[in-house]
Amino acid sequence: MISEFLSYSIVPLLSALAIPFLGRKNEKITEILANVTILAGLINIGYILFNPSNHRNQYSTFTQDGFTLLMIFTIYLVAMCVVFFSTRMNDRKIDKNSYYPLIMLSVSAMCSMVMARDFFTLYIFMEALAVTSFALITTDDGRGGIEGALKYFLLTFPASALIIIGLALLMIVSGGFSFEHIQAQIIGAPDFLTFLALSLILLGFLIKSGMVPFHFWTPDAYQGSYSPVSAYLAGIVTKISGVYAIIRLSMFFKLFDDKAYKASEMLLLIGFASIAWGAIAAMRQKDFKRMLAFSSISQLGYILMGAGTFTTLGIIAAIFHLFNHATFKTTLFLNSASLEKNAGTTDMKKLGGMEHNMPVTSWTSIIALFSTAGVPPLSGFWSKIMIIIALWMTGSEFYAAAALIFSIVTLAYFMIMQKKIFFGKANPEFAHVKEVDFTLLSPVLLMSAIIIAAGVFFPYVYDYLANTIATRMVI
Amino acid sequence: MMSYTFSLDWFFVTLIFFTGAYCMAVSRNIVKQLIGLEIISKSALIAVISSGALTNNINLAQAVIIVLILVEAVIVATGLALLVKNYRLNGSIDLEKLMSLKG
Repeated sequence: MISEFLSYSIVPLLSALAIPFLGRKNEKITEILANVTILAGLINIGYILFNPSNHRNQYSTFTQDGFTLLMIFTIYLVAMCVVFFSTRMNDRKIDKNSYYPLIMLSVSAMCSMVMARDFFTLYIFMEALAVTSFALITTDDGRGGIEGALKYFLLTFPASALIIIGLALLMIVSGGFSFEHIQAQIIGAPDFLTFLALSLILLGFLIKSGMVPFHFWTPDAYQGSYSPVSAYLAGIVTKISGVYAIIRLSMFFKLFDDKAYKASEMLLLIGFASIAWGAIAAMRQKDFKRMLAFSSISQLGYILMGAGTFTTLGIIAAIFHLFNHATFKTTLFLNSASLEKNAGTTDMKKLGGMEHNMPVTSWTSIIALFSTAGVPPLSGFWSKIMIIIALWMTGSEFYAAAALIFSIVTLAYFMIMQKKIFFGKANPEFAHVKEVDFTLLSPVLLMSAIIIAAGVFFPYVYDYLANTIATRMVI
Repeated sequence: MMSYTFSLDWFFVTLIFFTGAYCMAVSRNIVKQLIGLEIISKSALIAVISSGALTNNINLAQAVIIVLILVEAVIVATGLALLVKNYRLNGSIDLEKLMSLKG
C-alpha cells in the first residue's frame, strides 16, 4: 500500500467506528460527523491534487502514482455529494446509525483498494467493498433492494474464485502478488502462464464491473436500491471494484507489447458489445433509474475500449472517462432521487412536463446527458474523442466508427428520456410538485460545474493528465 | 515421502470448480446456490495451496489462505443475512420468484 495516503482510508474507518456510539442519542451528530469526515478528506486531497508544485514533476513531497491520486479525489467527491444529499433528504425510514457508517466503510475500502500495490490486497479490499455495498443496497428494506442485492451477490461471487485462481497462478510465475514482481516478470520473460494468470484476474474483474455478457445484476441492483445509494453505486462503487482494476491490468498488458493483441481484441469486442447492448436496451426502458443503469453499462464499454487499446493515450482517456462518468452519472442519479422524493415516482410513462415544476433539475440533467453523449465543449466529449483517436491509432477503425455511432444513439435515448420526463405535455397529477430546495440541489450544481469546467478548460486538464498523471503512472 | 502430484491437484481444482458451477446452474433454491458458491471458492483455495507447494513457498500460501477463509466467512455471512431478509419479506427462497424488477 502507498503509505502517504493511508490517512484517507483510516480516518473514515475511525469515523465509521465512532458514529454508532456518538450518534446513539442524537442523530444530528451522526450526520455532522459523516459530512465533516468526508469534507475534510475532500479538501485535503483537493489541495494535493491542485497544488501547483505537483503540476510539474518536481518539488513534490508525495508519491509517484497519479492514477491513485485522481481516484481518491473522485471517491471523496462522489461520497461528499451523496452524503450531503442524504443528509438533506432527511429520510425518516432509514436507520442513520447504520447507513452513514456503511458509507464511511465503503469509502475506506475504496481508498485502500486504489492504494494497493499488489493484487492480494486489491482483492481483499474489493471483497470488503462488496460486503458494504450489499448492505447499502438494502438500506430502505424494500423488496427491490433485497432482490437487487441477492442478484448482485449471486452473480458476482463466482468472479472472486476466478481472481483467486489467477492469484494462485501468479504465485507460481513470480512468487508473489506485488505489482513490481509482475512487472519485472513480464519485462524479463513474458510467458504464457503470466498471461493466463492476468487474463483470469481480468475476467473476474469484468464480471465484477458488469460488462455485457455478465451484466444481468447491474440494472436490478441500481433500480432496486435506495435512491442516493444508487447514485453512489453507479457513480463510484462498482467502477472502483471493477473498472479500476481493469485499467490497472491493462497497464500490465501494455508491457507485453504486441504479444497481447488477442487480449486487446477481446476487450475491444466486449467493450463494443457493452456499448451496443447498453444503448439499445436503454432505449426501451420505462423507468428512469433502470434506463440510467443501462446507460452506465454503455459508458463502461467506452472505458473498456479505451483501456483495451493498451496504449498510453487509450489508458489516459479511459481514466478521464472514468472521472467524467463519476460526475455525470452521479448528477443524473441524484436528479432521479430528487424526482422520486418530490414527485414520488421515476416512471417515465407517468411523468411529463416537469420542466416548469423542477427547472434546475431539468437543466442539470441536460448538462449531464450532453456530457454523456459527448456534445462539445463538455468534458464527456473530450474523453470520448480521446478514446476514438486511440482506437483509430491502433488500427481498430471499425470500433472507432462504432464508438462514434453509438454516441449518437446515446444522445437519442437521453433525448427520449428528457422529452418524456421534463418536456412534453404536463401531467395534471404532478401539477403541485415543487423544485427541491437549494441544499438538495447544491451537489448536482457542483457536479454540473465540474462537467462544464473540465470541458471548457480542457487544455489545462489534458496538460495535467499527460504531465502529472501519465508520467507518474508507475504501475 | 509422498511424491508431489501437481497435475492431479489441478485436475481436482477444475473438477470441484465445475461441480460448484453445475450446482449453481441447476438449482433454483437460494440455499443451494450458496452451497454451490462455497464449493467453487473451495476449489480456488486448493489452487492456492497447490501452487504454494509447487514453488516451495508454502508459508506464503498458508498465510494467504487463512486470510481468504476469513474473507469468505464474512461474505457468506452477508449472503445468509440477505437470504434471511429475503425470506422475511417475500416468504420464499425460490430464485425464480425474484422477478419483480425487469424491463
